[in-house]
Amino acid sequence: MFVIDALFQGILMGLLFALVALGLTIIFGVMNIVNFAHGEFLMIGMYTTYYTSLIFDIDPLLTLPIAALVGILLGLATYYGLIKHLLRGPAIAQLFGTFGLMLFLRYLVQFLFGIDYRIIQKGLLIGKSLSIGPFIFDWTKLSAAILSLISFAFVYYFLHKTKMGKALQATSLNREAASYMGIKTDQMNAIAWAIGGGTVGVAGGLLANFYYIYPTIGLLFVMIAFACVAMGGFGSIKGVFFAGILVGIIEMLFPVFGQLIGSEFLGPHFKFTLVYFAYFVIVVFRPQGLFGWKQ
Amino acid sequence: METIKDALDFRDFSKAEKIGFLIFTIFLLIFPLFGAGSFVKAVMIQFLLFSLFGMGWNTIGGYGGQVELGKAQYVGIGAYTVALLMVWWKIPFWFSMPVGVLIAIGYSFIIGYPLFRLKGHYFAIATICTSLVLQDIFINWKLVGAAKGIELPIHEHPDFLYMQFKSDTYYYYFIMAIFYVAIFYMNRFRKSKLGYQLRMIKDDEEAAESLGIDARWCKIKAYTIASAFVAVGGGFMAVYNLYIDPYSVMDLDLSIKIALMAMLGGPASLWGPIIGAAFLVPLDRFLGSWLGGHKGLIGVDFMIYSMLIMVVSAYQPRGIWGIIEQFRRRGK
Repeated sequence: MFVIDALFQGILMGLLFALVALGLTIIFGVMNIVNFAHGEFLMIGMYTTYYTSLIFDIDPLLTLPIAALVGILLGLATYYGLIKHLLRGPAIAQLFGTFGLMLFLRYLVQFLFGIDYRIIQKGLLIGKSLSIGPFIFDWTKLSAAILSLISFAFVYYFLHKTKMGKALQATSLNREAASYMGIKTDQMNAIAWAIGGGTVGVAGGLLANFYYIYPTIGLLFVMIAFACVAMGGFGSIKGVFFAGILVGIIEMLFPVFGQLIGSEFLGPHFKFTLVYFAYFVIVVFRPQGLFGWKQ
Repeated sequence: METIKDALDFRDFSKAEKIGFLIFTIFLLIFPLFGAGSFVKAVMIQFLLFSLFGMGWNTIGGYGGQVELGKAQYVGIGAYTVALLMVWWKIPFWFSMPVGVLIAIGYSFIIGYPLFRLKGHYFAIATICTSLVLQDIFINWKLVGAAKGIELPIHEHPDFLYMQFKSDTYYYYFIMAIFYVAIFYMNRFRKSKLGYQLRMIKDDEEAAESLGIDARWCKIKAYTIASAFVAVGGGFMAVYNLYIDPYSVMDLDLSIKIALMAMLGGPASLWGPIIGAAFLVPLDRFLGSWLGGHKGLIGVDFMIYSMLIMVVSAYQPRGIWGIIEQFRRRGK
C-alpha cells in the first residue's frame, strides 16, 4: 500500500523534475554549456510567484505567466550579458562563469529577501486534497504535475512541429552544418536560453505552491536536474522526461523501503544522496544515459 | 638530494619576482613580532591555510585544467581523522595528521579512478556529487557526531604533541612552515615530468595520449597530490579551531572558495593561488567582521566574489597573474 502510494507521489514529483531538467538539457544540447545557475532560475521563479501572489493578492497559479516571463527574461539576460562573453574563453572559464552566476543570484536573493523559509499560505488549491479510493493526493501537487506535463508537451510540440523548433534541433545536432543551411545559430542560442529560463520559471511557480521557498534551494534542484539530464542522456528531450519520473520515484520510494527494512542508512535524510550518487554512477558507467537514446 | 636542489631552485623566475618573493618571506617571518592584534593574526593564518589549499587545487585544476569542485571532502577527511583519533584514543596530532593524509590519498585513488573517465563539465558535476554524498553521510552518521560535530578536548597546558598553544603565534609559524614546504614542492612540481605532462593534457589531451602519455593516470596522480595537500590543511583546521562539524569543513562553499581563489589569482602559476588568497581572504574576513554588525547584509561578500569570478572568467581566464604578465609583456 505504502509502496503504491509512494509510487504515485513519485510520479507526480517526477513530472515536475522533468520540467526543471528540460531547460538544462535544451541548453546543453544546443550550446554544449552546463548552466549551473539553472537551480537559481528555479528559485527566482518561486520567489516571483510568492511575491506576485502576495502583493497583488491573486491565486498563485495565476502568476505562472509572470514567472515564465521572468524566467525568459532571465535566460535572455544571462545569454547576452554573460554567456556570449564566456564563449570566447576556454571551457574552464565557461564553467566558472555560470558557477559565478549561480552564487551571485543566490546571494542577491538572500540579500534582498533574507534567509527565512517562506511558504505560500493562501490559494485556491492550498490545503485541499483529492482522495481516490485509499489514495490521497494534494491538489497542489496534482495540478503542478498536470501543468508540468502540459508545459512539457507544449515545448515538445514547439521543437518538433514548428520551423523554429526544427532549426533549434538542427543546431543541436550539428552547429556548423546548421549555419551552412542559413540558420542563425546565435539566435538559436538565445532561443534555447529563453526556453530554458521560461520552463524553469514555470516549474518554480508550480513548486512554490507546495514547497518551502528559500534562497539556497537552487543547489538541490540543480543537482537533481543534472541527475535527470545524465540519466536521460545529455541533450535528449525524450530521455529527460522519463529520467525525471524515475528520479521522482527513487526519491519517494527510497525512504519507504528504508522504513520497511528498518535501516537507519535508508532513511529520508538520504533520499537526495541517492540522487547524487545516481548521477555519479550513470555518467561514469553509462555516459549515453540509461535509455541510450541519441537525439 | 637532487630533488631538494630542484625544489629550491628559483632561477628561472625574473628578478622582480625573486625580490618580491624575498620581501614577502621576510614580511611573513617578522610579521608577528610587531604585536599584531589577534584578529589580524587570525586573518594571516587563514591566508596561509587557503594558499595551501589553493596550491593543492592548482595541481589538478590549474596545471591539469580539470575543474575540481569537491576539495572540501578532503579537508573534511583530514580534519575528522585528526579530531576523531584525538577524541577516541588520544592520539597526538603529529601521528594522526599523516594518517589523515594517507586516508585522503587512499580515498582519492578509489574515487579518482572512476572519476577520471569523465571530462569537462561531467567531471565538475561529479566532483560536487561525491563531495555532497560524503557530507550527507557525515551529517547523519552518529558515530562521528552527526550534524553536531566534534569538540576536541582542551588541554590545560600548552602541548606541542597535540598542537595546543595559548597564543596564535605558534599556530602561525606552524602553518607558515607547511606553507613553505608546499611552495617548494610546487616549485619542483611545475618543473617535473608530471607537471609538463599535465600541461600537455590540458592543451590537447588526444595529442598527449598519442605521444604515449597515460592521461588518466597522470590526472589521478595530480588529484591525489592535491588531496594530500588539502588534507594537511584540514588536519590543521581541526587543531586550530578545536571544533569541527560537517558544515564547517565539508561544505560546498569551502570547495568553491578553494577553487575560486586559485582561479582568481591565476591557475597554472606558482604565485596564482597565493595572490588569490591574499586578495580574497582579507576581503572575506574584513567584510565578514564589518557586516557582522549589519544584520541583513549577509552574503554580500559572496556577491562580490561571484561578480569577480564572472568578470575574470569572461575577460581574463588566466586571473590576476595573467593580467600582471600581460602588462609585463607590453612593457618590454
